[in-house]
Amino acid sequence: MDLWATIPQFLISGITFGAIYALVALGFVTIARASQIINFAQGEFVMLGGMLTFFFLKGGRLPYPLSALFALLVVVLIGFLLHLLVIYPLRKASLPILLIATLGASLFLSSSSALLFGTLPKALPPFMGKTPLEIGKFYVSPQSLYVLGITFLVLISLYLLSHRTHLGKAMEASSTDPLGADLCGISRNLMTFLAFGVSAGIGSIAGIFITPIFYVSYHSGILMGLKGFISAVLGGWGKYGGAILGGFVLGVVESLSVAFIPSGYKDGVAFVILLLILYFRPKGILGSPFIDSRRW
Amino acid sequence: MVDPVHKEFRKREILYSVALWLLSLILPDPQLHYRKEYRLRKRDLFYFLVILLLPLIWSDLHVHHLMILAGIHAILALGLSLFLGYAGQISLGHAAFFGIGTYTTAILTTQHGLPPLAAFWASGIAASLFAYLIGKPLLKLKGFFLALATLGFGEIFLVIVRESAGLTGGVIGISGIPWFSFAGFVFDTYLKQYYLIWIVLAGLVLFSKNLIRSKMGRAFLAVATSEDAASSVGIHVSQIKVRVFVIGAFFAGLAGSLFACVMSIANPETFSLNLSVLIVMMVILGGMGNLYGPIAGAVILTCLIDALAKYQEYSLPLYGVILILLLVFFPDGIGTRLRVRLIYLISYWGRKKRRERVDV
Repeated sequence: MDLWATIPQFLISGITFGAIYALVALGFVTIARASQIINFAQGEFVMLGGMLTFFFLKGGRLPYPLSALFALLVVVLIGFLLHLLVIYPLRKASLPILLIATLGASLFLSSSSALLFGTLPKALPPFMGKTPLEIGKFYVSPQSLYVLGITFLVLISLYLLSHRTHLGKAMEASSTDPLGADLCGISRNLMTFLAFGVSAGIGSIAGIFITPIFYVSYHSGILMGLKGFISAVLGGWGKYGGAILGGFVLGVVESLSVAFIPSGYKDGVAFVILLLILYFRPKGILGSPFIDSRRW
Repeated sequence: MVDPVHKEFRKREILYSVALWLLSLILPDPQLHYRKEYRLRKRDLFYFLVILLLPLIWSDLHVHHLMILAGIHAILALGLSLFLGYAGQISLGHAAFFGIGTYTTAILTTQHGLPPLAAFWASGIAASLFAYLIGKPLLKLKGFFLALATLGFGEIFLVIVRESAGLTGGVIGISGIPWFSFAGFVFDTYLKQYYLIWIVLAGLVLFSKNLIRSKMGRAFLAVATSEDAASSVGIHVSQIKVRVFVIGAFFAGLAGSLFACVMSIANPETFSLNLSVLIVMMVILGGMGNLYGPIAGAVILTCLIDALAKYQEYSLPLYGVILILLLVFFPDGIGTRLRVRLIYLISYWGRKKRRERVDV
């Protein structure tokens, strides 16, 4: 049976996709753990990470690591600016306003990157070697291994940040118990500000690592952001482990779906999964620290 | 004996109250429905007259076309205003119901040869039927998660429309939809279409005005304020939410049908997330819990997009920046904020003059 023979290959590409979604989801979770805000411009950080690296590499003729570093710094700066110019003035606004404001920021970032860098899709050269590794009968591109590696590195550093440092604990406190955090002298606005920087950094790392595998174009950010958010909800809203698990589940299911249904429906699969998980288990697979206490 | 200073006060007092009355004519109090029973006021007739006379005074074809689009957006925003402004729920999938309305009309008129009037009602009913089926499970969610779920519904709708090319024409869409016609009268010029759309809108405004003062409308407000309190006084919260969702979708379906008949084309690109965001933006800018606000928001934003279109590639970044600036400076609606500011300003002048007089 030809179909069954290709399934392991689909699984491998699903795991690569999953690692990417997990990275994007980690960005959402970082902000959610500090302030309960959902930043729909998260996908644009990923897009900008790839775009800016390409710009520094090809336009600025800088060496690869240096241009990646510059891209990271610029995107973190954009994350800080997003907080200062959009989120901070609206910190007392109601939910739909915040939602539309981040969507407006996402529109601004994507359309101005189309203006600055052109509308053609761009791809970075892979970090090391184009020839895919052969494992048994299946092929794995070395870049996928890099993506997997960086996902776990980011996960571990986020875990250390939130469990082993005062800063991380203060960030978490300002989300789980705002009044208590205020009483302890934690500046909640500062924590949200820092969380936006960290989240933008994670997004740009994701962008830098995935652009060698996939083309990045100015409008790829919003769908990437939505899928990252879906993985965060799927695994358990507000948990780092949940974001990783949700990302892998979403990636694998989406890749396997290509084997069974027409590929045009592929983008719909993620949203069907979202509706199912929201209906049957809004807490997500691993359960969520935020949802059951608040009766969403 | 009336001393001259006191007389001067009287005169100013009258002046300020006239200024405030004029202000209230243009910018209605957004919380009026809490206070007074509804009856047709002078202001409603004033607005209606403005709408009737506008295309005759300003007879420019481009303006007519713009106001047709604005009217369709206003119907959409009015429907969402019931859901978002009154019942306090968020939907980012309203464009999907608009799309369902458009495609129902397109398919019924081009493939089955139904008259546009029958297709008009069928689109409204089809959209509300979908809303009922979707809303029943989805409206249990709250806040961001409801927004995300409705967004997901909108995206699934788009994927289905693009893929089922046999019925909907796929990415190309359906063209050649006949003009709207009613008892042999064909709406074939911009002026006729303008009156068609704005009179439908006036009818829907009248319907909503009565609705929000009915028992159900009061229940919307109660659900928006506190679901627990609402259910404790005997309001069936989930039922009310589904009903307001269905009514909003009905409005969107009618708007979609009118859009199909006016533009004579149905294309999936029209119903993307951008349109949903635009509609929510109209409701927010108009002020929540206010029926004329979303209409004003629709007109303002449609004109804004048209004005930005001449900057070509700079239009989208500019649009994003203006969107954020409007949200930051007018988070509770342009009308509300302007009204508060102007009233403050007028009363400030009054107090300042009086203070100076008293000091002397």
